[in-house]
This record gives sequence, structure tokens and C-alpha cells, in this order.
Amino acid sequence: MTKGVLLYCFDTDEVKYHRFLIKCVRQIETFLKLPITVVTNSETHNFVKHLDVGFRIIENRKGNTRYYRGKNISWHNLERVNALSHSPYDQTILMDIDYFCFSDNLLKYLDTDYDFLVHDKVLDITGKNVILGTNESVLPIVWATVIIFRKCERTERIFALVKHIQQNYEHYRNLYRIRHRNYRNDFAFAVALHQMNGMIPVENFIPAPMFMLPHEYDVLDIDDSGLMFRYDKRVGYLQGIDVHLLDKEFVNGR
Amino acid sequence: MDIGKIKEYSDLAHDLALTKKNALEKCRANQIFAYNGKLFKADAETINLVSTLKSYSETFTILDTNQNPCQIENPDNFLEILIQKNQESLNAYRKLLEQLKRR
Repeated sequence: MTKGVLLYCFDTDEVKYHRFLIKCVRQIETFLKLPITVVTNSETHNFVKHLDVGFRIIENRKGNTRYYRGKNISWHNLERVNALSHSPYDQTILMDIDYFCFSDNLLKYLDTDYDFLVHDKVLDITGKNVILGTNESVLPIVWATVIIFRKCERTERIFALVKHIQQNYEHYRNLYRIRHRNYRNDFAFAVALHQMNGMIPVENFIPAPMFMLPHEYDVLDIDDSGLMFRYDKRVGYLQGIDVHLLDKEFVNGR
Repeated sequence: MDIGKIKEYSDLAHDLALTKKNALEKCRANQIFAYNGKLFKADAETINLVSTLKSYSETFTILDTNQNPCQIENPDNFLEILIQKNQESLNAYRKLLEQLKRR
């Protein structure tokens, strides 16, 4: 059974995501030691073709946006629904390129019978708990940042349903009273899992919370073992644990 | 009483408390492991449960972290892994707290 990591990377006018990709790939090579496939477009590929990974070049759909530090910026997140067909592996760790491995913790989830795992809990590493707002929707959110899946009939159904939800997102957004107007994979997968489970809350999740630095706070320094971050006027450190970083500017250097 | 000093102390206490909280969560995340296709947490509760069941039966069934049942065929091996994972993670946590105390 083949195992590997699938990443999506598309530069936008505002964020040079390929810089995240370079760092993300290095961390995966260090800690997970799994083959990597990157789905990207030809413009972004020009910046990363030196990387020792497999590439799948596509023409990605555009048009979605996200809120980031007081403005709306482009967000090319619409291709993730095709991850099942984009992945060349039997078992895949699909992750955002701003999710950085500082441990081999994700590997253990490949050694299970679970065919689809995501996080349902998040840990704000600043202790501020600003990631989750109140009443964001009427169903509990799941995090599509890291998705561990095996190619099988059930997973095919989940991805088919997520595609359908993406195509009819306004309907599902209203149905589940999702406050965010933009398309978010987190909610699309949450809705799909809820519907797939017969409208009963889903129970099979990654049993640890996803460590996360909210976009309001800066990464001051990052190396192969961990990171230093600033929140308010304080400085925090984190080492040896995977973390999702929403600061989009540190890769440009501070 | 110098209020500035108290504020400084409070800030430091906050930073230490946050570092401790994150380290404890990291410790808990490191206690998770896969066994027989299921996921388990090497915490005190699981160790106690397995230890108790082991003294009554050579094989038994327990629930994993997602409440799915798992048949434990080799309790000795399972308990050994549980204790090893538990102590690895707690020792790392203890060492970090000792470093913090010295700061």
C-alpha cells in the first residue's frame, strides 16, 4: 500500500505561497519521510520546480477570497475537493502548506483502520482562543487543514459529496447557517461528514487538537525544530509539535 | 510595593502558564498511538484499565479514542507500549518544567 503527502500550492497576488511550500516540504522530508506530490499551476511551478517532489500541474479555479488582517485577499482553495483523484497514493496525508511538521505524529494515523480522519478540535497556541467565533454555524466545525484518507468506497462518497456541496455552497451555507460568506473547505467537509453519517454527529476524529497560531499574530522566527511567535507584546515558543500558521507574511522575512 | 515589579512578575507567570499549557497538550498528543488499527491514548486511565483487565483475562476488548472496540490479543505487549509512551511523554514534560523553573 503506497503512502504519501499531497499538497496544494497556488501563488496569489498577495501571498507567495510557494515560499510556504518550500518550508513545508523540508519539514515533511525531515519528519515524515514520505513521498510528496504537489498540485500547482504553471506560474507557481516555475518557483518550485527544483524541489524533489512529484508535480501535478493544473489550471486552478479562482474567485474565492478570505479575510486576512483587515482586508479580503485571494484564496485559491477550490481544488482540494479533487484530492482523491489528484493523489497517486493509496493512503494520503493531505495538508495545507502552512501546516508545518515538527514531529512525526501524523504517521501514526496511517497505521489505523480509519479511512478518513480530520481534526475536530483546535488549540490556539497564544492561549487567547480567538480562532473559533461563536455561532459560526449550526454544526460543529471540522478542520480540513489535515485530512488523512485511504482510497475506498466511503472516501469516494465523501469527496463526491464535498464536490456537490461546493457546487451548491450557498444552499448548504443557508441550511447550516454558516456565517462566513466565502467558501471554506472546513465547513464543506463538516457538512459532508454530517450528511454521510445520517445527520448524526460524527465521532471518528484525530484525537489530538490541531495546534494553531491565529492570523492576528506574527511568527518571529522558525527553524527545523520549532518556532518563536509574538502575541500582543509577548513572545512564545513552541517546539516538537506540528502547527498550523495563519501568519502569511513571515515567509517574506521580517 | 512596586506595582511595576508585580506587573513584571504577572507577565512572567502568564508566559510560564501558557508554555506549560502548550507543553501539556503536546505531551497528550504524543501519548496517542495506533494499535491493531485503532487509536489509543497512553494516559493513566488506559493504563489502569488495561492493567486491571489483564489480571482477569488473557484477551479482552476495550474502546479506542473514538469509542470503537478493539480486541487486545497480547495484553503484556499492549501494556508495555502504553507505559513506554506514557513515560516518554511525561518525562519530556517534566524536563521542560524543570527548565522553566530555572528561568
